[in-house]
Amino acid sequence: MNAPPLLPEPVPPLEKTLRRLFLTLFLRGRTSRGLRKNRAPQSLGKKLGLTLVFYALFGCVALAFKSQPIFALAVYLHAMTFGLLGMFVAASAGEILFNKEEADILMHRPVGPRQLLWAKIRVLVEVSLWLAGALNLVALVMGAFSAHGDWRFPLVHALSTVLEALFCTGSIVLLYQLCLRWFGRERLDGLMTTAQVLMTIGLVLSGQILPRIVFRLSGVLDASAAAWWMGLLPPAWFAGLDDALAGIGAGRSWLLAGLAIGITALVLWLAFGRLAHSYETGLQLMNEMVSPRVKVSGRRRWLSVLVELPPLSWWLRDPVSRSSFLLTAAYMMRDRDVKLRLYPGIAPMLVFPFIFLLQGHSRGDGGFGLAMSGAYAGLIPLLALNLLQYSQQWQASDVFRVAPMMGPGAICHGARRAVLLFLTLPLLLVFAAVGLALRHDPSQLMWLLPGLVVLPVYAMIPSRLSGAVPLSVPTEEAKSAGRGLWMMLAMFSSMGLAGLAVWAHYEGLFWQFMVGEVIVAVVAYFWMRQSLAKVCWRAID
Amino acid sequence: MISAVQLTKRFGTQLAVDGLSFEIPGGQIVGFLGPNGAGKSTTLKMLTGMIAPTSGSATIAGFDLLTQTLEVKKNVGFVPDSGAVFESLTGLEYLEMVAALYGIPQNAARLRIKQFIQFFDLSFETLTDKLLGAYSKGMRRKVVITSALLHNPPVVFFDEPLDGLDANAAVGFKALIQTLAREGKTIVYSSHVLDVVERVCHRVIIIDKGKLLLDGKPEELVATHQSGTLEKLFTQITGGAELEQRAEDFAKTFRA
Repeated sequence: MNAPPLLPEPVPPLEKTLRRLFLTLFLRGRTSRGLRKNRAPQSLGKKLGLTLVFYALFGCVALAFKSQPIFALAVYLHAMTFGLLGMFVAASAGEILFNKEEADILMHRPVGPRQLLWAKIRVLVEVSLWLAGALNLVALVMGAFSAHGDWRFPLVHALSTVLEALFCTGSIVLLYQLCLRWFGRERLDGLMTTAQVLMTIGLVLSGQILPRIVFRLSGVLDASAAAWWMGLLPPAWFAGLDDALAGIGAGRSWLLAGLAIGITALVLWLAFGRLAHSYETGLQLMNEMVSPRVKVSGRRRWLSVLVELPPLSWWLRDPVSRSSFLLTAAYMMRDRDVKLRLYPGIAPMLVFPFIFLLQGHSRGDGGFGLAMSGAYAGLIPLLALNLLQYSQQWQASDVFRVAPMMGPGAICHGARRAVLLFLTLPLLLVFAAVGLALRHDPSQLMWLLPGLVVLPVYAMIPSRLSGAVPLSVPTEEAKSAGRGLWMMLAMFSSMGLAGLAVWAHYEGLFWQFMVGEVIVAVVAYFWMRQSLAKVCWRAID
Repeated sequence: MISAVQLTKRFGTQLAVDGLSFEIPGGQIVGFLGPNGAGKSTTLKMLTGMIAPTSGSATIAGFDLLTQTLEVKKNVGFVPDSGAVFESLTGLEYLEMVAALYGIPQNAARLRIKQFIQFFDLSFETLTDKLLGAYSKGMRRKVVITSALLHNPPVVFFDEPLDGLDANAAVGFKALIQTLAREGKTIVYSSHVLDVVERVCHRVIIIDKGKLLLDGKPEELVATHQSGTLEKLFTQITGGAELEQRAEDFAKTFRA
């Protein structure tokens, strides 16, 4: 087969080709499950347009800050943007920067690691900017006409939002590179996961604490009134920039603005300049991964022995459930892909209970803070099981279907129990300990009960109502918005229950309320359990 | 075209490839054989510039693997055994992306893609309208093979290229590599289907535990070792001679 002679036409630049590739992969996903495979795919422009509309609508909340000083408005906007971008970049960066499957497709082509790094970073930054722009769209216009703003606000806020997006992306890329540089390939997977979880928690905290401070100060906050420690929270730096250039321009605002510019420049220099070489090495090392030596650590042996002994052997009598329990536990502890999705995914659920605990403690709100903590804690297994259904090795779950089982019931039970034992129970103990330390009164722990009583029921929801079988769904389907619906409904109902419990307490009916809740929860649990046993395998495409 | 000298790769304490040396001239199809874990894929990854050797050197198409890696990559095509593709791209998007990476202008790329899809009996509509995730394993393999040959490289590495191909496509593929070799290209063909290797390859290199065991023409090696077939020779020298006994033992487990 002779190749035809090349025509003298322009060759698309490599950078452009790579950028387009990664943008397409990012927006469409890397696998085709969940996409209409037999039709030409939706245009990228349409996808970006829909994202713009969705986030712009979400950004309308900023209208509530119309009469606030510029610093208060900017603090709110940057905190929201920071939380959103932080979680987005933290969740996406690992898959984008270090994707092993990509090696077989791209690493033998004439493309340098540096070109790959820049194309990926460019896409990460562009999508981050797009999301940040969409979220701040309404605020940009509103800010110009707000009580304390003028024409300068849209310009300055656009600039500070770009800086913030760069800071978020740069920080996470830097974190990966530092892990790679300091700890090497052998420990990279585990460390990156740990670092990513910690960073997500930090970002969520930072994004959650600041708006609450605004509300605590009756919605009025200016830079001069802000506490010194706000300087430790990155969103405050970028809000300072807004206030310095488009607000009252207090001395502290200039200081915060200086931090915003200086630290962002430092992070970008380190992440994209100084440490870019680490990425080149890391990419090649990732590609060198031979079959990893699974450390048959004490934990694994301990786990295998534990399931053979009471009380776990009583709890896991069914051998299918026991196998599923061990499989789920192994993935929760070992699999990088699952860990990167699971722990950052539940991080907000870990942060909110603490915020409620601390807020309730400082306000002296009776039991509301603890009740809300319990409500959030009750949702942890629901969210974890929802996330555990996704895996890059989803095709391996065919082994469940091939096995002589009518449906996924026993497998789901095993997975649920692994989540309850290894994730939910330790977290509940921590919440209880923190609650006890703050309240100094064990009887206060009763406020956790409304959330905890419904926990077993919520843990059934992913399996029974949304058909979540562990490790059986391609990771790309995690992006489907419809899948979060049950989560939202469960969250509202859980918080509603906590609110009702507080109301019942003030009416002197708390324990009557609890008896009612227990009865309903027990009936719902056994009904769901029985119906799960009858569920047959769903047809797959 | 390919010259490897004491090529070695170590992963921590594990020696994956242990001082491999060989020369492959242009126009030759070389079967690269070895049992699972022998170091074949690691060697292919080193020779395609995907991973760096721990020590040793190699030149591919006249370019030094260590100092001219990008030039090496421009001159090799590689069909990995994983058959990995970006599933969320259509076949055409994927092949055009690959063509762009090699600096092939879009019109020229389309022309070449059309030639390949004619050869592999694929329809252009399938290529433009369906995502790669919707392709059968064989169709996907055809796209991967096309993507390896699109830039007309002088050296091509195939790792289990027939996996998933139907009988007609497999016959066509064998004819294709023989044609490519006649045009002077160097073909390295790694496979476990030894009868195909025996029929197609001018020479075989057998490695085990990272070391070179045998290197020569299949018929000469078979004659020297009086093994009758390449398959028997392979099992003889890679410790698979007692496989039939092992199968019998395995079956006994169930009888018990």
